[in-house]
Parts: sequence; structure tokens; C-alpha cells
Amino acid sequence: MENDDFEPKIIGFLCKWCGYAGADLAGVSRLEYPPNIVTIQIPCTGRLDVQFVLEAFRKGADGVLIAGCHTPNDCHYFSGNFKALKRIALLKKLLEQLGINPKRVRIEWISATEGRKFAEVVKEFVEEIKRMGPLKLR
Amino acid sequence: MAEEKIKIAVCPGAGCGGCDVSLVNLHEKLLELSELVDIVYWPTAIDQKMEDLEKIEHIDIVIFEGSIRTKAHEELLKMARKKAKILVAYGACACFGGIYALGNLFFRKELLEMGYLLTPSTENEQKKFPGELVKIDNIIIKIPELIDWNMPLDKLVSVDVYAPGCPPRDKVLEKLVEVIKDYIENGLVPERGVVLADIKTICDECPREKPDKIVIRRFRRIHEGPVDPEKCFLAQGIICLGPVTRSGCGLPCIKANMPCRGCMGPAPAVKDPGAKFITSLASLIEVDRERSLSDEELVKRVQEIPDPVGYFYRFTLGRGIIDKTQREEGEG
Repeated sequence: MENDDFEPKIIGFLCKWCGYAGADLAGVSRLEYPPNIVTIQIPCTGRLDVQFVLEAFRKGADGVLIAGCHTPNDCHYFSGNFKALKRIALLKKLLEQLGINPKRVRIEWISATEGRKFAEVVKEFVEEIKRMGPLKLR
Repeated sequence: MAEEKIKIAVCPGAGCGGCDVSLVNLHEKLLELSELVDIVYWPTAIDQKMEDLEKIEHIDIVIFEGSIRTKAHEELLKMARKKAKILVAYGACACFGGIYALGNLFFRKELLEMGYLLTPSTENEQKKFPGELVKIDNIIIKIPELIDWNMPLDKLVSVDVYAPGCPPRDKVLEKLVEVIKDYIENGLVPERGVVLADIKTICDECPREKPDKIVIRRFRRIHEGPVDPEKCFLAQGIICLGPVTRSGCGLPCIKANMPCRGCMGPAPAVKDPGAKFITSLASLIEVDRERSLSDEELVKRVQEIPDPVGYFYRFTLGRGIIDKTQREEGEG
């Protein structure tokens, strides 16, 4: 696609304990990553209602990133990350049926020490969404 | 509101006629009602055309069944809204797009080709489609043209009263009769957007025994072996939309040992029924083995559900945050 000047809008739902702390570390460590992501802190990825993701798309997001604690043992609330994993898996199938590329949703496990991983994931995701082009909903 | 009877019109949109039949389910109440009201328009029951409705200057209550799929439906709905004091969206199609809203997974052209050319039982030598003039036995007719997408009524006009269900059941009908009587006796027009059902979910009212922790190991379809009539469907691995669906239907399906399929539409706190149901259902799958299965295995187990849109939005895709296909026409 000829989307050289397309700057994707990405919403990041980051869990308070891992994903958000990882993003924080990326910031404190002055790691560079594209400014296309707007992060929203949630208490746990298990709090992520699938409605939030669709709502983000409806309100103009081109991609949604969910970042939480590593499976199997890192979740602060024991099993919230598993809930998110399963929900997103089913959502991806739904998106495919609705004609939306399921890769516009990405779920990653990023711990509080993985600032570098957070920066890498955002970089990669922004590139990927740029290649897909904007999401124009009907 | 003195001697003169109030006027009611029943207008059909894209529907199956089941709503008309359900009106007859009023039984003796229909007689009672007919003493209080004049049914001035009901093309399913009496031979009437849109012109007949046009001639009627003022209508008190319009009961509109079915969703909006053709130009004629659009016209009829706009006319009905203009004339009506109270517009009732009657049935799941009028309220949420209904089962026909699943047609929004396809483009108009694809639907027409399938319906008017490709199905084995279709004979259409002239390759005529709705919207064109067709000559049959020296009579020229025109079937109304399809619009691009299927819509519930409130995408086009404001709706005063929602009577959900496929079709609306006795309890909803009783409430509708109350609305009509209230209007006759006190001239009361209900608050805009009122839903003639409860504020709870089906699960809230369901008498089936629910375990503390529901674990779904394997999904089952209703025909695969016996279904325990006392036990929660989800606990038996049968998909039931009870957690996200509004109650007020009287649970006819549950009582007949069939799972809820969501025709009452989303419960009040639910914005998007399908997405909310994913949130609820996915967490139950293999919930006690999350740690022993790998992430990949878990994902695979969850994705065993073959048709999430068809099941989770069976009657409500028109209410979805994303309510139609987003692919390019001709793609996929």
C-alpha cells in the first residue's frame, strides 16, 4: 500500500503490574519507540472486556495492543492473563468473520523488567499496522 | 381521549411473519383490545397497500415488525414515524436487526446473486433482480430494491417502545397491552426508548442449578447426547447466551430444554452482546487446566468454536459495535 505518510493510531491496554511497568521502564531508560501508541492502564489484563477492543476500533484505532504478565505464573491476580489470552483468541476469530485482519489485535507478555521488549513490540507492531494501512470502518 | 377509538397500524418490514402470528397469541386479549382500538392497517391480515396507509392522516400507535432491508421498508418506516404518536419496534428484527442482520456479513450484490441466480432451486432466465420491472403473464411488477445493509429501526428513526423477542412472548405482549391501555385511558406516551422486558439477565432468572465454578472442557451441540434439564447449559458445554441476554421472555427456551439464543437482545449493561459474550464465555474454557496447557493449546481450544458471529450475534448483529462486514467487496 502507498501509505508512506500514514501514522497508525494504536491503543495499548497495559496491565498495571507488568505491561505498564514495562512501558514505564522503557520511558525511564529513554528507549526510543514510535509515538503512535496511546496507553491505557488497566488493573489486570483479566479486566479487559472484549467490548473495549471493538470500541477502540470504532473510535478510530488502527491496532490494539494488550500487554500483561507472563504465563503461567506471573499474574498478580493469579490467572487474569489466561482470561485475556482466551478472550483475544476468540475475538481474533470473530474479527476474521467480520472482515478485519485479526493481526490488528496483538497480545504480548511483557514483565516489569522488559522495557526493551516493550519498545521492540511497539516498533514492530507500528510497522505491521503501517503495512496493513488504516482501518476504515463502515 | 373520549369516545373515538384509537388507531393502530401494524407495518411489516423485513421479517418472517412470525411477529404477526405472535400478535394473535394475545388470545382473548385481542378481542378485548379490538373493542378499544381500531386496527386501521395490517397488510398481513387485510389486503392493503402502502397507499392505504398514506391516506390515513393520523395514527396513534404503529407496531412495526421486521428490520429495514428494502427501499419500500425505508419509505414505510418514515411514513409510519411521521404519522405515529408511539412507534413500537416489535420483535428482534425491528429492535436489533434480527437474524437477517447476519446478512450484513455479505454485500448486497453477493446476497442477490446467491438468492436470485446461484441457488440450485432458482430459475431466473431473464436474470432479473429486485428493483427492475418484470413482466409476468402480461402484468408488469416491480419488487422493491434492496438497500445496501440491513438495519434495525432506530438506525433510521427514533423508536419509542422496544418489544423484543423472536417473536415477542406473552409477558412482553402483556406489557404492550398495558402501554396501549395507558395511552387510551390517560393519554400517556411512554418514555422514549423504553424496553418492554426486565432489567436482569436470563441467568439471573434461570432456575437451573449452576455450579460455583463453570468449567467448559468440550463444546457440545444440543443434539449430541442427552441434556440434563436441571443443570446449567454452560456447565454442560452447551453454548447458552443467558449471561448477556435480557430477561422478560418467561424463559420458554430454557424450560423446553433449549439454551438461550439471545433473541431478547442485550441486557441493559451490555453494549455489544457478541463481544460481551466472548468476555464471559472464553474465561470458562479449560479454566481449571490453564496452567497445565500451553498458551498455544489454550488458544486452539478456544478457537474450536466454528462460527462466533453466527452464534453470539444470532439476533443482534445490528446492535454490534461493528455491525457489518469490513472486507472489501469481492474479497474473501
